[in-house]
Amino acid sequence: MAGPPPAPTPHHAPRAATPRRPRIGVVKFASCDGCQLTLLDLEDELLAIAERVDVVEFAEATSHRSSGPFDVLFVEGSISTAEQAVEIARLRTVTRHLVTIGACATAGGIQAIRNWFDHEEVRQTVYPEPAFVDSLALSRPVADFVAVDAELRGCPISPGQLREFLVALVTGRRPQLPDEAVCLECKRRGVVCVAVARGIACLGPVTRTGCGAICPAYGRGCYGCFGPRESANTASLAEWFGATTAAPDVARLFAGFTAWSGPNRTAIDALGGPPGQREAEGRSGDA
Amino acid sequence: MTSPRAQPGFLPRAEFGRLFAALEADGRRIIGPTVAEEAIVYDELHDPAQLPVGMTVETAPGAYRLVPSGRDRAFDYAVGPTSWKRFTHPPLVPLTVSRRDGAGVDVQATAPSAPRLAFLGVRACELQALAIQDRAMRAGPLGDVDHAARRDASLVVAMECAVAAETCFCTSMGTGPEVASGADLVLSELDDGFVVRAASHAGEAILGQLGLAPAAAEQTNAAAEQAREVRRTMGDPVPTVGLPERLRASLDHPRWDVVAERCLACANCTLVCPTCFCTSVSVASDLDGVTGTTERSWDSCFSLGFGRVAGDANFRPKVKDRYRQWLTHKFSTWWDQFGSSGCVGCGRCIAWCPVGIDIREELLVIAPPGVEPGPAPWPAAPMGGRAPDPLPAVLPARHVTVRVGDVVHETADTVSLSLATDDRTLLGAQPGQFVMAELPAFAIPPISISRIRPDGLDLTIRSAGAATAALVALHARDTLSLRGPYGRGWPVGEAAGRDVVIVAGGIGLAPLRPLVDAVLADRPRFGAVRMFLGARTPRDRLFVAEMNALAGRADLEVSEIVDRAGPEWLGRVGVVTQLFDRATWDGSRATAFMCGPERMMQAAAAVLARNGVAPDRTWVTLERNMACGVGTCGHCQVGPFFVCRDGPVFSLAELGSAFGREGL
Repeated sequence: MAGPPPAPTPHHAPRAATPRRPRIGVVKFASCDGCQLTLLDLEDELLAIAERVDVVEFAEATSHRSSGPFDVLFVEGSISTAEQAVEIARLRTVTRHLVTIGACATAGGIQAIRNWFDHEEVRQTVYPEPAFVDSLALSRPVADFVAVDAELRGCPISPGQLREFLVALVTGRRPQLPDEAVCLECKRRGVVCVAVARGIACLGPVTRTGCGAICPAYGRGCYGCFGPRESANTASLAEWFGATTAAPDVARLFAGFTAWSGPNRTAIDALGGPPGQREAEGRSGDA
Repeated sequence: MTSPRAQPGFLPRAEFGRLFAALEADGRRIIGPTVAEEAIVYDELHDPAQLPVGMTVETAPGAYRLVPSGRDRAFDYAVGPTSWKRFTHPPLVPLTVSRRDGAGVDVQATAPSAPRLAFLGVRACELQALAIQDRAMRAGPLGDVDHAARRDASLVVAMECAVAAETCFCTSMGTGPEVASGADLVLSELDDGFVVRAASHAGEAILGQLGLAPAAAEQTNAAAEQAREVRRTMGDPVPTVGLPERLRASLDHPRWDVVAERCLACANCTLVCPTCFCTSVSVASDLDGVTGTTERSWDSCFSLGFGRVAGDANFRPKVKDRYRQWLTHKFSTWWDQFGSSGCVGCGRCIAWCPVGIDIREELLVIAPPGVEPGPAPWPAAPMGGRAPDPLPAVLPARHVTVRVGDVVHETADTVSLSLATDDRTLLGAQPGQFVMAELPAFAIPPISISRIRPDGLDLTIRSAGAATAALVALHARDTLSLRGPYGRGWPVGEAAGRDVVIVAGGIGLAPLRPLVDAVLADRPRFGAVRMFLGARTPRDRLFVAEMNALAGRADLEVSEIVDRAGPEWLGRVGVVTQLFDRATWDGSRATAFMCGPERMMQAAAAVLARNGVAPDRTWVTLERNMACGVGTCGHCQVGPFFVCRDGPVFSLAELGSAFGREGL
């Protein structure tokens, strides 16, 4: 849950002394770097933003390095190893506003599917030399380890939301990051509901908005990469999918990039776990 | 609309393009039905070939399917995912552009842009939906300029229904299938063409352009029989006699919990609804906060954020609260507010609910016909219904730039700004009214007026979020923009000749101070005046020197109490009701005015009632999520009221059990 957004020195009174430029860091844990790169995608405004903040740590963009302190630290990736758990705790102590970015950092990511499986078995299946790999049994969101002040959802995050967050940061206002359903975006855009008109299983009603309803706009169901919205009633939606759609496996619909988030996890558990897990259990049962 | 003189004409199917040509010759873009994304949507049409010829739809709760109709008609379908509000009350409307130049702030309203449109194929239920939104968008003191301009610039070509979908129930809501009013032209589609009749002067002009042969009697009869057949198909699935009364007496029905288990609170029902009009305002700015823009977009009472207020409190935290808000508004409190039902029976909310919740079924369980309604939670139609006839003219909002004079730091987080203005409207503010205060780049909070002076207004503001923090940080000679004054204030005159009781909690003293000023300015008109002031700590007391001075006067009584205090505080410690819960004065001679946290006001109201103060003599001001100030955004609704329009000051008699009821 996003806490109060950062509101550093308001910048709205030009005749006031120029406030110190906020020190910004960008770090990553278990993730693909795609969310960090969204920062670089803010092409038109990147330079203007860079003039108003000091980016002191951002391995994808600059060779300057810093271990803190940070006014705002953007954290990408899930916490998947013991080393990462130690590092995120250290970073929290040198950070004023810690902001998680992306499905991995906010929900555990696609890699959290392994949380349903036997950890040792997964290690041996994936890595030829599992002894070199020091992973935790669970891939978990950052908020499971330290307090998080704000989060930007998505896989990857939305450039528009990142821009809004940065503008709010430098102007001292509250960022507008709605926690409502994707459906509102579909309806405002005039996208015809793919669930109702085509019988496509769509997670839009239980997923947080912010993407601009990209998937339904292309005739696909939302697969929930922004994770659960407020009041996400995944149980009711799962029941409806089971009763009405041709989807072969309802659990698979929820077992995506934000599978380990509370409401999705509950739905997956109620359906007996993600698809591969039931097969894996079947195998071990046979053995 | 006046009754047309022209006789109905007949437009052969092959010549339907003549109607397109006539509408275009009238300078209009045509919006009508066409197939897109596996549905029949309303979009701009350039050619009759774009019409959904040969297509119809099958609907059910949670399902809509486009299927061949088996005949060559173009309007052979029931309503789909689009409603005309997309064009009359669009999803996104720019509101203001604000600029900061040094200490100067200027806010300009964005001029409405209203394209000249012709709506082709408007159903009977949709005509009534347009009329319902017309009333809703003009029920406030200003009305919505953008909506009014769009409506004025549109021509409505209605199409009587030849088919009904499973989800249709216009017959129950009394809106169709026959077209009654609200159209310029009315068409009925037969196999070989269209019976066309004019229903307004504008429609008559178009009909004249078409130069049609008169429709034969068998053609007009066939059209009428077609509509009668649709009526027979539909039956009367939702008996509505007494429904508003039954529904409002069912606020605690166990079915709300049952439907909340299924409801996704995804907002689809409200956004496909042709009458739902709620919006939210969002703010954008450049990187320096020098230029800001505000725009409003469709929003929904089903989203958690819609009921959120300062401090992250929420008036409707549960899905059950939100479902109940929607259903009771549509079928009950809409009558109180606008003099009609808010539902037209189009069935969109049934078909487009992603889990197939059917309001017909819910209504029959929650408020079944034939059951005598229980006691009403609030007086019937307390505002008398607001259906204006004819529709009032719409006034644009005025943004007035005012300059900060004195800045008084009342407490650690609360500041009083003394604002200078010669704007006569602002100076005409009444005690208890509020203004919307705008700075570029920030959200626009409603702020109670804490003093009305001959040359300006005082606002007392507590820093509770980024927008109020920016206001609190203003200095002398800075400017800000105000919109208002808004709302119904304290009925000062009602207390003439009577004792006056004032109860304030914390910042709640701010909107009460103009009332105190008014009473003291005319002191002999009133009996005993007693003020009971509560604060969290001694440091949180407002207007300290002024209140101390009042306490020294012989002609009024001021008692203060704080929730907690150190040894330096020699006054009383406790809650504000302790100041008068053993009072011996006769409350039946008193009029009471209260403002503070809702829980405080509830406790104080109970004590005042014991002292004999009548509910219609006990006045409170409600803090709600007021966002537009003029009753068109829907955020501040409580039961049958919009707080910004009907309040914020209410008597307890008006509020009934809406006062203090959780989740309303």
